Amino acid sequence: MVRPRRRRRGRLLPYALIAPIAILLLAISVYPGLYAIWLAMTDASLLRLARAQFIGIGNFVRMAGDDIFLDSLWRTLRWDVAVVLSELLIALPIALFLNLTFRGRGFARVAMMIPYITPPAVVGLLFAYMFDGNFGVVNDILVKAGILDRYVSFLSDPTGSFAVTVAAMVWYGTPLMALILLAALQTIPQPLYDAANVDGASAWQRFRYITLPHLMPSILFLMLLRLIWMSNHIDMIFVLTQGGPGFANYTAAVYSFKLTNQFEIGYASAVAVVLTILLVAASAMYVRHLARKVLVAA
Amino acid sequence: MSGERKPSMTRRFWMAIGLAAVLAYSLAPFVWIMIASITPETKDYGTLSNRQIQYFPAHPTLDNYVDLFVNNPFALYFRNSTIIATGNMLLTLVVAALGAYAFVRFRFAGRSSLLVAMLVAYTIPSVVLLVPLLVIFRTYGLINTHLGMILAEATHSAPFVLLLLINYFSTLPPELDEQARVDGCTRLGALWRIVLPLSVPGLVAGGLLAFIMTWNNFLFAFLFTTTNNVKTLPVMMRLFAMGEPAVWGTSAAGAVLTTLPVALIFLLFQRMLMSGLAAGAVKG
Repeated sequence: MVRPRRRRRGRLLPYALIAPIAILLLAISVYPGLYAIWLAMTDASLLRLARAQFIGIGNFVRMAGDDIFLDSLWRTLRWDVAVVLSELLIALPIALFLNLTFRGRGFARVAMMIPYITPPAVVGLLFAYMFDGNFGVVNDILVKAGILDRYVSFLSDPTGSFAVTVAAMVWYGTPLMALILLAALQTIPQPLYDAANVDGASAWQRFRYITLPHLMPSILFLMLLRLIWMSNHIDMIFVLTQGGPGFANYTAAVYSFKLTNQFEIGYASAVAVVLTILLVAASAMYVRHLARKVLVAA
Repeated sequence: MSGERKPSMTRRFWMAIGLAAVLAYSLAPFVWIMIASITPETKDYGTLSNRQIQYFPAHPTLDNYVDLFVNNPFALYFRNSTIIATGNMLLTLVVAALGAYAFVRFRFAGRSSLLVAMLVAYTIPSVVLLVPLLVIFRTYGLINTHLGMILAEATHSAPFVLLLLINYFSTLPPELDEQARVDGCTRLGALWRIVLPLSVPGLVAGGLLAFIMTWNNFLFAFLFTTTNNVKTLPVMMRLFAMGEPAVWGTSAAGAVLTTLPVALIFLLFQRMLMSGLAAGAVKG
């Protein structure tokens, strides 16, 4: 009589172990996620939540005619491309360089990570300070170098503020890319390069035919990862520009966030839900990648 | 590459250039804000537009740091950030370690679907969660509480640390806990006495990365707090970035002290943290 009981308890043990994290995620991610979909179909306002009305696809119809929203989608795409490509173009040389043997390499690898450890709000503060129109060091350098003839107020200009925000984001995000690319570089077997040297391959040929193909899976994964999170990114844009001047730095995520701050939570949810749906293919690929890795491990 | 030959002069020259470029790119903005933080704020600036650029302050001072604590609620915000980041680290470690142990050491019905469900929960972006969490937190009185902030931040950190610990636990040979059970340990005893002690590097990496993520996150703190008793440092940094108060020396000092704890943690545990980050599962 005792044995089957013990066994049943043993069979329940894994579920008991998973229960805390499962309940936690159910309460703070899954349930709120579903709740967001419900809110997206209401005219809920934070000021009169109890009187929220179900309006079906009303919010989505409104979105289709909302120029701020349509503009913000287009800007999300430009923001994604600008940030992800710049990060890659800076991170790849850094990773290649840090993979060489030289004195001070260990120190350089750690120093390289500092931007990514810095809180994004501090990065925003740093860039606001450096690009200020009155006492910004960037203005000072550009004027002294003769590139500008007078100080420019970057952050009050639509194009300028977008560029500064991209720069801040790229500075913050580059280390993660460099780190993952460096890890990938270290898995390339040295004999491949030795053989290429024997065959008299040039440095460019070694890079083109050995390094790059080995890096490709990591590069594609990084682009996917950054595409998803950059589309959803709010912190840096909001801290540096609040979305302005005007609507010049509204991405879809920032628009949703601003709507939330204006208590228009039904419409804000609808914008966030549409953004998520647009990213669903990318997210599915990301989940598949993680699942494959983690199921192999576990 | 071979160690016998000394690197040529040209190679050493280009290496030095490369090293300087990487260091300048990564550290220059930070060095600049550190200089600003020790540059005295003279009253004759009057307005911000009169502020002069000083590359090397003639009379470095710590007044800005004093001002940060005397005229700003910096200490209170620092306390809040510490409470929330530490609380999140502890909560995350407990739930993630239990879950990861179950996923790695047990085979049970629904195992892979549960795991995939957690990954899906992990990919729900913050922007979707903001509004519903705001409503739910208002309903349950979690707005303006440290607990609410700890829970909100766990949407990022709990699944992240779960993945990290699954990877870590799976590197330990299962014979170890089987041996422990032969010696009379229960499953939980094996987790406590064998797996956890052997996983200290993984636990340290997971816990500290959860701490850093929480310390750095701005969004939830901005939306779910309205009083100084719960607001965190990134919220103050945003006010500073908007020029409020319009004393740049003080803002710079705040930026330095806000970054210092996480930078120190990173420098002390860099090896473990870098391998945790390189796993490539970070959110944001």
